[in-house]
Amino acid sequence: MFFDGNIFWFLMGIIFILVAAGFKVFAEDKGWVLTWWKWLLAFIWYVIFTMSFYTYGTLHGERETADIRLFLLGMVISLILGVGFWRLMAVNPKNETTKEG
Amino acid sequence: MSEQPTQGVSRRSFLKLAGLVGLAAQAGGLVAAGNNAGKSSESYTGWESFNPGTQFFNRKPFEFEGPAHSPVSAVRRPSHLTDYVFGRVGTFQKFYEKHPEWKLGDPLEDLELPPYLIEFYSKFPERLEWDFKTFSETIPNNMKDRKIYENYYKLADAYSEGFTAHGRSLPRPQAPPEISDFLKPLSEDKQIGDPVPFKSPDLAAEFIKEMAHRYGATLVRITKTNPNWLYSEGWRGCPPDYDFSKMPEHWTYAIVMAVPMEWDVIIGSPQFSTSYDAYDRVSTAATRLVGCIKYLGYPARAQTPMTGYDMIVPPHAVEAGLGEQGRTGFCITAELGGNARMAIVNTNLPLTIDKPIDIGIADFCKSCKLCAESCPSGAISMADSPDGMVIRGYEHWYINNGACYNYWRETMGPMGCRMCVATCPYSRKDNWLHDMARKLDPRDPTGVVRGSLLWTQKNFFDYPKAEEYHRPPVGHFASYRPEPPYMVADKYLDIPITNPNEGG
Repeated sequence: MFFDGNIFWFLMGIIFILVAAGFKVFAEDKGWVLTWWKWLLAFIWYVIFTMSFYTYGTLHGERETADIRLFLLGMVISLILGVGFWRLMAVNPKNETTKEG
Repeated sequence: MSEQPTQGVSRRSFLKLAGLVGLAAQAGGLVAAGNNAGKSSESYTGWESFNPGTQFFNRKPFEFEGPAHSPVSAVRRPSHLTDYVFGRVGTFQKFYEKHPEWKLGDPLEDLELPPYLIEFYSKFPERLEWDFKTFSETIPNNMKDRKIYENYYKLADAYSEGFTAHGRSLPRPQAPPEISDFLKPLSEDKQIGDPVPFKSPDLAAEFIKEMAHRYGATLVRITKTNPNWLYSEGWRGCPPDYDFSKMPEHWTYAIVMAVPMEWDVIIGSPQFSTSYDAYDRVSTAATRLVGCIKYLGYPARAQTPMTGYDMIVPPHAVEAGLGEQGRTGFCITAELGGNARMAIVNTNLPLTIDKPIDIGIADFCKSCKLCAESCPSGAISMADSPDGMVIRGYEHWYINNGACYNYWRETMGPMGCRMCVATCPYSRKDNWLHDMARKLDPRDPTGVVRGSLLWTQKNFFDYPKAEEYHRPPVGHFASYRPEPPYMVADKYLDIPITNPNEGG
């Protein structure tokens, strides 16, 4: 089965790097200075966001009706954290300046 | 940061777009991967997988020096005739059929019951009420219901019957342990050979476990046989005057094995599931192991669901470290939760025994109560703790097996209920989601993981109300989850079918 095979997870890894690279460019364009803790926050958010999809798929495969409910819970948590983290992303170290007005 | 304009899209814009597309692709890929993890046969945690790989939980960090059970008062051995529900109700039925005019409140002596049963019912009057209800009301109603709805469950019954038919063909001991356990399989007079010595009990245990897995056991661990947990009478092959007070010397070890019921069938409980798939498989595995041990020159006897028991299994399973005793009274295992049908092989082949484990299941059961809330018969205690519930000298959760059996006889499809198995949060498949919970909870001393899992379980997962599992008009013969697609009778059978969920 493709979706539990090594090739699939290899592709997922490559896509993850692509997403990280895209985020880096996006952050630079926004004027965010990406410190280690911002990377960490972004990673946490990304894990929660993607795990919501993974959980949904798993419970759907098990024919559990909780699949969509837990997915929505994951999305709500992602949204709330996303808003909070977004604001934190704009907080730059004292010596740095924000490109964004 | 240099911009390198291309025809229309810069490198930076391309990376941002690719990241966004990657995000969507990753989300979609994970839905597909998750769906596969949820329904794949690889997640079935049972005989379907490569057998030695099915015992995947690392128990080592959670082992402790036993015993896991210590008596708190005088121990009474369980009785086949009274405590064992099938032994008791069979006798009650026989005498009740002779006196169908007998009603609750009439003297028990009028039923001409054996003295031991009169004594038992006097001590546990609620069992008498339930046993009477079973034969005076539940079974007659069930016969009427089956005339209406039986076809709807035809394929579930057929599925179960295949396992039952095979399981019944397995050999049962025909002579007392001192004779039959020393005979070659299926032989009435040929003795097993001289014992082949192993290099060490460690290696013997390693070999036996490997064999048990290869014969079909999903889980296997070893403990010593406890004489307190032998039935006080009625061992297979023994005449009534046999001395049941002493454990046969060669029953030193108890090799405890477990096999789950099919995952997509068990969630169709109570109406569509069956115990017989796992009964048959674990009985077959134990019978095979007996053959292997006897071939090596050691006596052996299988205690199995299909060939009968001379002892109770759950406390042995707990001592062996397969799991912990739960609110439901049976052993909740690390890999299969309550979805574990068990067998024991007794032998005197010197084996290294395993230790019991503490992975927090007993504590989890105190706060969960999902099985008790879902139990159609109310047989499972709703108490916050088993403290003070002393049964035959040991403290553990009280189960009213009379109420439990009563609902068995009300269900449609293969007889039985198994709702407590289906609803148990530990009875989940082997995939990343449930394995993560299995690994995190026992390692979290704060209880936060347990609380979160339980909150999620209670607030996001569907649990039909206990009444819905009953016959109409109180319920509608609900099932915990829909039946598997291959049990939809309407799809396959050209017969009249009445669906109780559609109001008959």
